[in-house]
Formats: sequence, C-alpha cells, structure tokens
Amino acid sequence: MLRRTLFALPMALALGTTASAESDKAPEDVLNELINKVDSKYLTQSEQNIMMMPDNPAYWTVDEGEELFSEPRGPKNASLETCDFGKGPGVLDGAYTEMPRFFADTGKVMDLETRLIHCMMTIQGFTKDDAPVKKRHGSGSDMMKLQTYIASKSNGQPWNPPMDHPLERAMRDAGKELFYRRAGSFDFSCKTCHGATGKRIRASVLPSVEFPEEWTKAISWPAYRVGHQNVRSSQHRVRGCYWQMRQGLVKPGSDASIALISFWTDAARGQPAILPDMKR
Amino acid sequence: MTKHKHILTHGLAAIALTLGTYSAAVSAEDYTKMTPKALAEHLIFKAGGFKLDEATQEGTTVTERQTQDGIQKACSALGSKTIDGDTAAKVNAMARKSIVKPDGGIKLGDWKKGQALARSGFGFRVGHRDDDHSKREPGGNCYACHQLDPNEIAFGTLGPSLAAYGKTRGTSEAMLNYAYEVIYNPHSYFPCTYMPRFGHNKVLTQEQISHVMAYLFDPESPVNQELKPQSW
Repeated sequence: MLRRTLFALPMALALGTTASAESDKAPEDVLNELINKVDSKYLTQSEQNIMMMPDNPAYWTVDEGEELFSEPRGPKNASLETCDFGKGPGVLDGAYTEMPRFFADTGKVMDLETRLIHCMMTIQGFTKDDAPVKKRHGSGSDMMKLQTYIASKSNGQPWNPPMDHPLERAMRDAGKELFYRRAGSFDFSCKTCHGATGKRIRASVLPSVEFPEEWTKAISWPAYRVGHQNVRSSQHRVRGCYWQMRQGLVKPGSDASIALISFWTDAARGQPAILPDMKR
Repeated sequence: MTKHKHILTHGLAAIALTLGTYSAAVSAEDYTKMTPKALAEHLIFKAGGFKLDEATQEGTTVTERQTQDGIQKACSALGSKTIDGDTAAKVNAMARKSIVKPDGGIKLGDWKKGQALARSGFGFRVGHRDDDHSKREPGGNCYACHQLDPNEIAFGTLGPSLAAYGKTRGTSEAMLNYAYEVIYNPHSYFPCTYMPRFGHNKVLTQEQISHVMAYLFDPESPVNQELKPQSW
C-alpha cells in the first residue's frame, strides 16, 4: 500500500501541472505558493489584501463578464463565443497567458484588450464610438467585465507568450527598448522603479522586472485596486506609469503599448498568473 | 474586420498627413526589418504610440518630452546593465557642463517651504489628467525616494537616506556647493543615477532649490532633529 502511494506521488505531481488541475487553485493559493518559494517584500507587502483575496470584488466583475461574453449583443446580435483569442474560436482556458500574440487575420500582434475590441467590432458590429468599445476603464465597463472574465480563465497558468512569429519577437524586443528608455522632465524609464527588488516609493514596495516570481504578480492584470475601488487592466497600468514618469499619454491599444506589454509578459515567462489579482 | 481596417487606415492616413513624408503603406511586417531601437523610436514618433501634439507645462509639446537628450540616450543604452567607465566619463562631462550657479552665490532659503516641496509630488504630469501649474506649485517629490525627516515613516528607498543631512555634514561652502550641484544635475557626481536633474530640467527654480537645501541643512529643519520616541 505504501509502495503504491509512493509510486503514485510523482504521477500526481506531474499531473498537477496540467491545465485542469491548476485552474482549481484560487488566485491567493497561487500567490501563497510564490510567497513560500521566494523572499519578496513586494509579494508580502499587504497582509490585508491577501486576506481579502477570497472576497475579491473582481469576482463580481468576472461573473458579469461571463454573462456578457455569451450574450448576443451589438448590431449583429452575436455573442463573443466565436472570438479567437489565439487558441481557437471561443477557447478561453489559458488563452490570456499566451498573449500578446500574432493574429494572422489582422497581421498584428495584439494584447487582450485590442483583440477583444477587434472581436466586438467585427463579430458584434460595434463601432469605435459605441460605449462597449469606447469605455475602457472602471469595473462597470463592459471592457473590464469581459477582460476580467477572460483573464480569470488563465489563473495559475504560466505566462507563455508565443515568440514563434518574427513580429512577436520584434514587438517584444522593441518593448524592452521602451522599458529602459529614459525621457521626460524627470529622466525616468520603467527601470527607475522596476530595476531592483525590495525598493520603495514612499510606503509602496516596488516589483522588479528581473525577479520573475514577483514580476508575475506585478503584471497580473486585471486586478482589483483597493485604492481605486475598481478593477484595472494592463493598459490602465501602462497609462498610469507613463503619467507618473512625466512622459506623454501612451495611446490605448497602440503598438507602443502592446510592445511594452509583450516585453513585460515575456519577463514573467514560466511563472503562474494570479487572476484576478488584488493590488493596493 | 473591414470597419477595423478602415479605422486603422484612417488613423495611419492622419499620421501621414501630419508627418508629410510618412507613408500610409507601411505595414506592420516592416517592423521585423528594423532594429529594436529603431522600432521603439518608430512606435513612439511615427506609429501613433503617444499623443505627441499635447501641450506641456513647460510650453513645448509631448514630442519634446519624448525626445531624448545626450544623457538620457547614453543612460538608456545601458539597458539592464550597470554603468561602464566610458559611459560614466561621457555622462559626467555632459553633466558638469550643464551646471548653472545662482547669481550671488549658493544660499539657504526657507526650510518650511523646502519641506512642502519635498513632500509634494505634484507637477509636470500630462495625459489623461494634466497638472495645472497655475493652480498649484510643482514640487520636488523628494520623499518618493529618500528618507529626510527621521520622524516621517512614509519615505521611499530608491535613493539613500538623507536624515540628519546638515547635522552630520555641516554647512561649509564646499558642502553647500556639492548639494546644489547634486540637485541641479546629479549626473555630475553619480552618472546615470535615477535622480531627476531638478535644475537642468527646470523642474525646480533656483529659489525652490534654495528652500530644499534649507530643509536639508538648516539646524531648525525637521531633517536635523532627533528621532522621537514612538508614542504607540
């Protein structure tokens, strides 16, 4: 009996890495496993947030997104169930952790937000001025409901943005240049705040791009931001960082924003995503 | 698909009109023929990455904000690497040349005004929300990165602690000169530091620098007081 158990143990561990087993984990379990593995002041900075994660308000956003996703909407009265996020029409499990990626139908590298907008416009017939496409921020927006739902289907999955297409590599490499590019009144680049572990701005502990186990939490958007009382996206984080850096407004969905997101996702490669996350 | 394509083409055409020489026919495929650096510049300035025509508080546009000067270029080129001797010498020389001293010598201003400047993170932000300098004076945001008043607990650690700065260093002319130069252009001592060039970049005026220096050096300043016993 003991022999059988010992024999079965490696099998169970091996199976533990498959998609179905990972998705059973709650986001706080994914985070706690990282905390047990590495020493990171960033991961452990808010005990209260970790305690609140089982009641993350982002779960309401996930539920609302799930309903919206399958509901026939827009001028074409179609649902998003035929939208291809890279793993086939309607396949959401593990799709987000493999974005940004190249899409042959547009010839572009797209992140979750731009791909979602593409589907809302082509499949559902919304225009860029219709509220579901135009309103990008806030837990009450269709955009954040849908993004949070789709991303939640990648919880616990390792970040694995494909780099097979030359355009995917070109965008990632340009994103790295953008990350280290100093400009503006304060001479800041992303590296100023995210180049070392354990540093603080005022009382906030900053994540390092060179520490994948903490960087995965940094890029795990959508996340409920306690200070904003709203679920926020990757695009919202990019905009906020450029604003704080005293550089210009990065345009939502621009190739510059997607290149940066390609680089930052690649920097967390192999580490499990925490979705939805809760941040300070 | 068609509508999306139309918007994209429309957007590119608008950019092409403003830039004149830029061709709307440039496809994303060409990205793979550029170096990463060239593509990054292209994404910022030619592919609609930033709202370049927005006005800034200093009277320019975002185009100028995004355009790098010599020190920004040299320090960015390091990427994740630590600084090498050649870059350090080059950046240091550029920084030394940039320093402008105040007429009538370096003097200490009002530490209370310096304290307000050290605490304020307001100023120079543009984009979805602009900082209106006519409504509020921009600050130096020293506390974002440095400890100053030992009794302030919300301080950053990107820079070294400056607690008891004047108390431990004194107020000799050499010391004041050094502190002024570090605030004006810190690359003159620390090439490729993360610290902003507060004087050179015109973030702080000469007068504001004198107030921040008073906050650092004045014996009355909270920076130079003892740590109080915690009441809790």
